Order: sequence, then structure tokens, then C-alpha cells
Amino acid sequence: MATLIRTTGDWDVAEEATSGAFERAAATWPRDGVPSNPGAWLTTAARNLALDRLRRRAVESGKVREWMSEEALAGRIGGPPDPAEIAAAHQELEWDDRLRLIFTCAHPALTIESRVALTLRTVGGLETSEIARAFFVAESTMAQRIVRAKRKIQHAGIPYRVPLPEALPARIDGVLAVLYLIANEGYVASSGDRLQRVDLALEAISLVRLVVDLLPDTAEPRSLLALMLMQHARAGSRVDADGELVPLEEQDRDRWDRALITEGLALLDPIPAVDRGPYRVQAEIQAVHVRAEAAEATDWAAIVHRYDELMAITEGASPFVELARAIAIGMATDADAGLAALAALESSARLSGYHLLPASQADFLRRSGRAEPAAARYREAIALAPTAPERRFLERRLAEVERSAAPRPDPGTPG
Amino acid sequence: MEYALFYAEGDEPIAYVPAQDDIGDWVDDLGRRGASEYGERLRPDHDATTVRVRDGRLLVTDGPFTESKESIGGFDIIDVADLDEAIEIASRHPAAAFGRVEVRPFMRWPDADPAARVVPADFLERTASGRRYLMLVVAESSERRAVIGDDGGSEAATAEDAAAAAAAPAEAAASDDPDAWVTEMDARGTRLFGEVLHGPDDATFVSRRQGELLVSDGPFAESKEWIAGFDLLEVRDLAEAIEVASKHPMASGGILELRPLWPFDVHDDHTARARREADERGVRLEPPAAEALDAAIGAAL
Repeated sequence: MATLIRTTGDWDVAEEATSGAFERAAATWPRDGVPSNPGAWLTTAARNLALDRLRRRAVESGKVREWMSEEALAGRIGGPPDPAEIAAAHQELEWDDRLRLIFTCAHPALTIESRVALTLRTVGGLETSEIARAFFVAESTMAQRIVRAKRKIQHAGIPYRVPLPEALPARIDGVLAVLYLIANEGYVASSGDRLQRVDLALEAISLVRLVVDLLPDTAEPRSLLALMLMQHARAGSRVDADGELVPLEEQDRDRWDRALITEGLALLDPIPAVDRGPYRVQAEIQAVHVRAEAAEATDWAAIVHRYDELMAITEGASPFVELARAIAIGMATDADAGLAALAALESSARLSGYHLLPASQADFLRRSGRAEPAAARYREAIALAPTAPERRFLERRLAEVERSAAPRPDPGTPG
Repeated sequence: MEYALFYAEGDEPIAYVPAQDDIGDWVDDLGRRGASEYGERLRPDHDATTVRVRDGRLLVTDGPFTESKESIGGFDIIDVADLDEAIEIASRHPAAAFGRVEVRPFMRWPDADPAARVVPADFLERTASGRRYLMLVVAESSERRAVIGDDGGSEAATAEDAAAAAAAPAEAAASDDPDAWVTEMDARGTRLFGEVLHGPDDATFVSRRQGELLVSDGPFAESKEWIAGFDLLEVRDLAEAIEVASKHPMASGGILELRPLWPFDVHDDHTARARREADERGVRLEPPAAEALDAAIGAAL
């Protein structure tokens, strides 16, 4: 599809032709057998469909521009194609076409919401309905967002290429921000009945790998990849067989993916202090967790230190970072220190409506044996929890503290 | 691709320092690249005159169509490879350092001659035979909702197609069919050139602060009005400009803003220039709009 966009300059035609080629494959492959080179078959089929579509449109409307695209396209498919050659070209194109697409989709002239949506739709190949669900908006809203973004790419002349070297550093941050958002949504879904969306996390990892390949010596893409790999390494242990949430300290650390952890840690080679960006610091926080052999062995003081650094290097400290830091303080010191840090954050009202604030307060109250106030905070958190697994986890905790708070049943009472 | 660059103070302007003004280098660079079509500075916004027709009545006012921080102080028309080159050029304009540059793509009509540019090739060689005004065609948000999408006729086969039909492109507001007006004013020699711009959704804002390039999609979501296109007029006086503007179809649905040009030597010593211009900067040099309107009506009778 990336190749078609470049050839036709028309995102809709390219998309339609690509899905048309897959439909055709679904109809003919079961009957005629799978061709020896399915990738090349699909590319050729999609090109022919795009050509048909442009021809039809040009005839219908007599528009000049589409005739021109058609000429360009016709020139490309002239001559008998050598499947081996196409496959070789296709392999190569795939890498840089995807990379080009990332830079186009994550262009700063688009809104951040559009960039995320368009990257997932076009580079990641997700359906509009899936993206809409992932970001908790109506499908029609998401469809409109994608249409507007595609229209802007065409109207405003957003180029379909990797920026020139001198412009690259300024553009890379924006690309990483989009990929970070996708990974975050994969790590903790903002809605729905699943805690995590492994598909989004994997997509983000594969996309950030492309950026690392492009800029192998730049610190932040490497750090972001390390962060994603170490987060994803725990994916299998964060939910149990029934899809229920398992908190960090109860996770079976033997089930963490050691290969991903090793790769992630290897990306965190020593770098000069000036190159330490927010992804590096967050990756190091993950590294502290994955290095701990048991939950009790976690070096929480090191984590607090990293959160301090993160707040210092990011302008306008995010309340989510402050929340994580408050939790780390409580884990490093004691529950009261954690509750004090959370109280300060609560009074700022910047996280009102966010379930993890009362959930964290409830957790420290539970740990220090204050069952009744803990239960009150759990109820608050349950009302705000965005995903079903988180809600059920909090309900289980609530039941636990309610049992410990309830007066011992009178042995004389029947029942 | 051709773009209009509009210069404005924007939301967070910093003080203009004439000694740091390197507009001469910028213009030279544009010339070397062959990217420049035409550009002018505009008289400050108190020299603007707006023209509207409402309920069959012609209304004129002194001043710009919008609050001054959004009011444009100058423009360029450039022809470059793509948006990235336009952004790069915009980011080096002095206005990017103290205000912001709005990068607006022109409409590309499917039936247009691909070699044709917005500014006629021989335009810079022509000598002015009258007073030149930039006439901004301003659309209002009620228009934006009312128009029908250009691809609204196609079948809505997917959710995205349906959304495409529903998301009416703003630029259609400007296609309030000015063809007859264009034909008439071209024949009169009054309209030198002009073109429709893509809508505000397709705009890009560019500025530079502390050496950092800032690019955004522009805070257009709430804007009530925006520049949908413009024409360069050559007329006897403001009275004739008002008469010409009042005949434009968008005078009824939108607003027309007449802005006198304010040419200057880009290679001048800008500190000295700023000192010389201090006196005429703060006053309206144009006749009062009401007076010009009376003159226009008098001429028509």
C-alpha cells in the first residue's frame, strides 16, 4: 500500500486497491492455489486495481490530475515483471516505505490525535473500528479524523519521504511521541474489557525498530525501544489465564520474557548525561524492575531518584509522573510517606477522576492495616476504573479489606 | 506546490527588533531558489477597510475583520517542492522569530493548466497604473457548516467515505462562485490575480523561539472566520476598491477586507527604516471608510 500511495499520490485509491487485492486473493487462492510469491502477486494485483480505478475515475470526471497519476502508474508496470525481481524490490521497499509512511503520518502539521490514528491505520494496518475502540471514540469520529488527516496530507502537500538529514532531529521527537502513545495504549488500555492490547504494543515495537534502524546511534529511539521491550517482556504475567490483572509484586517473574529483557538492557549502554532524555530515564526505571529477582528486592530508592530526574528534564511535570513517584516513595520508605505524597497530589486536583490515585491510596492504607479508609478509597477507584480487569481487581481487593474490617461473627449466631 | 505565507503576531509575540531583521537575506535566498512569486508588506490593520453586504445593504467599516493579533502584516506567494520546503522557508522569515507564519496551500483545480502559477509570469514587469489593494476573502463559520463536500456525490461505501461526505471541506465556502465577478474584474483590468486557498484544516503554523522550530496544525478549531482566498486589485482609490469588493459574491456570505500595500526596500537599514516609519505607523492614511463609501455611491449615480 505504501508503494501505491507513492505511485498514485492518492491515499484512498491505494487503500481501496490494497484491500481489493486481498479480496481477490481470498476468492482465487483457495481455487487456484497460493502463488509461489504471494507478496508480489498482491502488489501486482493492487497496482492493476489502482490503475483500473484511476482510469474509471478519469473517464467519469475528465480530471487531468488523475490522468497524470495513471500515466505514472502505467509507466511503472510496463514490461513483463520478473517475480524474483519484484520480491527483491518488495523486501527493500517494505522497509523504507514503512519508514516514509511513519514520517508522513507523524508530520507535525497534523494534530497529535490524527498522527496516532493515521499511523495505526496506514502503517499498522489496523481497522478504523479497532482504533476507535482503542481510543474510546465513536467509529464515525475516528473515521472523520482519518479522512481529515489524509485530506490534509494531499491538500497541504505533506511529502511522502524521510526528512533530509538536517531536518531529521527536529522531526524524530514527534515520531517517537506518536509511537510512545501507541505503546502506552498497548501497555494499559484506556478502556474496554482487556487490560492490555498486545497487538498495539507489538506494532509500536516494530515501528520504533524501524526508527532505530534509521538512526542507530541516536539515544532516544534506542531508549524508547528498550522501554517498550522491557514493558512488553512482562505482558504474559500481567494477566492470569482468565484475563484477570496480576499486580507487579504477585507476578511470576519466571514468566517474564528474558530475551526481550536482555535485548532491552543491552540498548541502555552508557551515554553522556546531556543525551539522557525522558525515554532513557523511563527505560532505566523499567530496568530496575526487571533486574529485581523478587518484588521485595526492587531498588525503590533508585526508582524515586529516576522519577526526580524525569520531572527535572520534562517541562511542566506530568501528574502521572508525580503519581508514579509518590508510589515509589511509599514503596521506598513506608506507607505513610506514600500517603503523604499522594495527599499532596490529590490536593492539587490535577488527577481528579483518575482511578489510580484512589487505588494507590487504598493500597497503602491496606498495607498499613487501615481497612475501613482503604475500603472507601477502593470504592472510589472502582467507580472510576476504565477497564473491566482493573475494576474486578479492585473489587477483589475491596472484598479482602471488607472481610478484615468486618467484626468477627458471633459464634452463637446461627448461619 | 504553491503556498501563501501570511505573517501575523500570533498569540505569543515577542518584540520586533529592527536590527535583527534579515528580510533582505531571506528574499535573496528565495530568489536564488526560484521559489518566489510575489510578496508585499501590508499597511497596519487600522488602514484596513472591511466590506459586507447584509440584507441588501452595503456595510463598510474601518479596521480589520478580526482582532489585531491575528491580523496579517504581510504575505508571500511561493512555489516549492512540498510542505516541508514551505515550512523551512517560513521558519527563516523574520516574522517567524517574533510572530508566526501561516502556511496555506492554494487550491489546485483539476482542470487548470499545470504550468500556470497564481501570479502571472510577467506580473513583476508590469508597472502599476493605480492603487493596489490586497482583497482578503474572509469566510465565516456559519458558511463552513452550510457547504456541501466536494466528494459528497460519491457513494458512501465505508465509514470513512461517509465521514468524507460529512466533513464538508471549508474551502467550498469560498467557491461561492466568483466566476462572473472574476470575468468582469479581469476585463476591467481591476483584478491582477487571485486564488482560492484550501481551508483552515489544511493550514500549518510555523514559528521559531530560542532557535527551536515550532510547527503546529493551527488553533483553528474555534476560529469563527478565516481567509478563504484573496485577489490583488488595482484601482483609482478606496472608493473604487469598495465598489469592486461589494460586487464579490462573498460580500454577502462572508467579509471582504481591503488592505493597502506598504512596499519597502528589503535591503534597507531596518533600524533607520523603523525610525522613519514610526510616525505613519500609528495613523490611518486611508480615507474614512464611510467617506469612501459615499464617494463610491456618488460615482455609481
